[in-house]
Amino acid sequence: MNLFGWQLRGELRKLFARKRTYLGFGAFVILEILILGLLQLPKVKRSFRNLIESNGYAFEHYFSGLTLALLILMWTIFFLGALYLALVGGDILSKEVEDGTMRMMLCRPVSRFRILLVKFLACMLYTVALIGFIGLTALLAGFVQGGVGGIFVFAPLEDVFALYEFGPGLLRYAGAVGLLSASLTTVTALGFLFSCFNMKPAAATIITLSLFFVDSILRNVPYFESIKAFFLTAHMAAWIHVFDSHVSWTRLIEHYAVLFALNATFFVIGWLAVESRDFKS
Amino acid sequence: MIHLDHVTKTFGKRKALSDLSLHVDRGELFGLLGHNGAGKSTAFGILLGQVRPDCGRVMVRGHAIPSQRSLALARVGAIFESPCFYDYLSGFRNLEIFTRYTALIPRKEIEAAVELVGLRDRIHDPVRTYSHGMRQRLGLAQSLLPEPELILLDEPTEGLDPEGIHEIRNLILRLHRERQLTVLLSSHLLAEVEMLCGRVAILREGELLYDGPWREIAGTAPAFRLNLDDWALAGPVLERADAVRSGGDLVRFRGDPADLIAALVHAGVRIRSVEPHRRTLEELYLEVIGRP
Repeated sequence: MNLFGWQLRGELRKLFARKRTYLGFGAFVILEILILGLLQLPKVKRSFRNLIESNGYAFEHYFSGLTLALLILMWTIFFLGALYLALVGGDILSKEVEDGTMRMMLCRPVSRFRILLVKFLACMLYTVALIGFIGLTALLAGFVQGGVGGIFVFAPLEDVFALYEFGPGLLRYAGAVGLLSASLTTVTALGFLFSCFNMKPAAATIITLSLFFVDSILRNVPYFESIKAFFLTAHMAAWIHVFDSHVSWTRLIEHYAVLFALNATFFVIGWLAVESRDFKS
Repeated sequence: MIHLDHVTKTFGKRKALSDLSLHVDRGELFGLLGHNGAGKSTAFGILLGQVRPDCGRVMVRGHAIPSQRSLALARVGAIFESPCFYDYLSGFRNLEIFTRYTALIPRKEIEAAVELVGLRDRIHDPVRTYSHGMRQRLGLAQSLLPEPELILLDEPTEGLDPEGIHEIRNLILRLHRERQLTVLLSSHLLAEVEMLCGRVAILREGELLYDGPWREIAGTAPAFRLNLDDWALAGPVLERADAVRSGGDLVRFRGDPADLIAALVHAGVRIRSVEPHRRTLEELYLEVIGRP
């Protein structure tokens, strides 16, 4: 492993060794169990039964472990995912500045660009690991409760209504987890951007979350329909289209190219902000 | 080793450093003194490329800061008054993480530095369990990895008990002696600087007031403490000999003290004792910053 690899490893170690990581990952598991419990409520089950059976499909077959896993994944991310990742991204630099460890790092013959690149990549990897963890634990919880069967996907805001058998369903679920990770890197990258400015970690997190929620609310306002493509969350929601019967790869690539460009832009702006800063106690 | 030429730095409306020029030679133990906010930490920050000067030239180990920062800092270690670490990781892990921003350092070398600062028994404990003195020693260990030519110590004994201060001081002296390290030290504790440094710079509100050896200010006459019975009788003798009484029993005189003593005895002044006076750093400091 080269020096960059060791530096990245050190950064990941810092992230994963924090108590917050264990508590956070534990909180996700608890939330997943709660959501699973909610999905077992007769009223909730009845509405899903109506939805599936009114379209001529067997509820018992399609309200399976895979469907439960997908619902758990979506709701967990909605309730806690963005908040947690905004916290991780918002902390990544500002917490080190606040704690004084950034100055210790800057005593070393390493460029600010290098430090930021290592931190940014660590954030991205952490995001992927977290979403992978949620995807996997949701799948386990789903299988334990619902067993093996087909998958039923319903996302009215994105015009997605699909049913698949277990094999293709599992494959698409795996794809969805991968794409969702990529989508959520943008929340972390946004948190990273604000973390690079001279502000408290909490401020960076709050601004990131506020922007994210305002963006997702405005995106669904009919008045803004014509400029929907300019909303961050419009691209982030593209992952669900992996469940379209005919996946438009060109459209998916477009969405993720936009997100990639945004992440890169956030990094560059953050780097320029850090380059112009003085680090002093 | 260190050259600061006409360096100025302003934070908002406040001038932190004003046209500061300073140099530290290789192998020197140099003290940087000044009150809080005098600009010492800003000078350290500029040397490490953490603070960008408004103007002026900064060279460390013959390389310009910030354009050649990586080369300049390749063999430079630094610690601050409260070295900051990742509290939830062990001291050893902290050393690994920080030093990897310089180079991949063999485990043995890290262990040697840990041994040197006397942290061997606790190095695998989380840093949150360390006392202030242990953190300070861990800070010193990280500044010694990999083997530096220059170390910048910003208030290294701040908050330590007398025993801790003594240990750190001896360690600095030992490193300076054994490794020929160049040391730039800032401290509020004048007695500490006095014991460690031969040359000092004194800053006040960002301005350099003094730079040189602290025992003697160039052009100042040596001083003696005279214990006399009758200062009134001695007055004209001192005046004739061009000796200056600078408060209390302190007399400054450029000539041979034996001549002055003979003149005083000849004039009938009874002398109880004469002793050469060694200037303290505190005296120099207060004199330079203009306080009684």
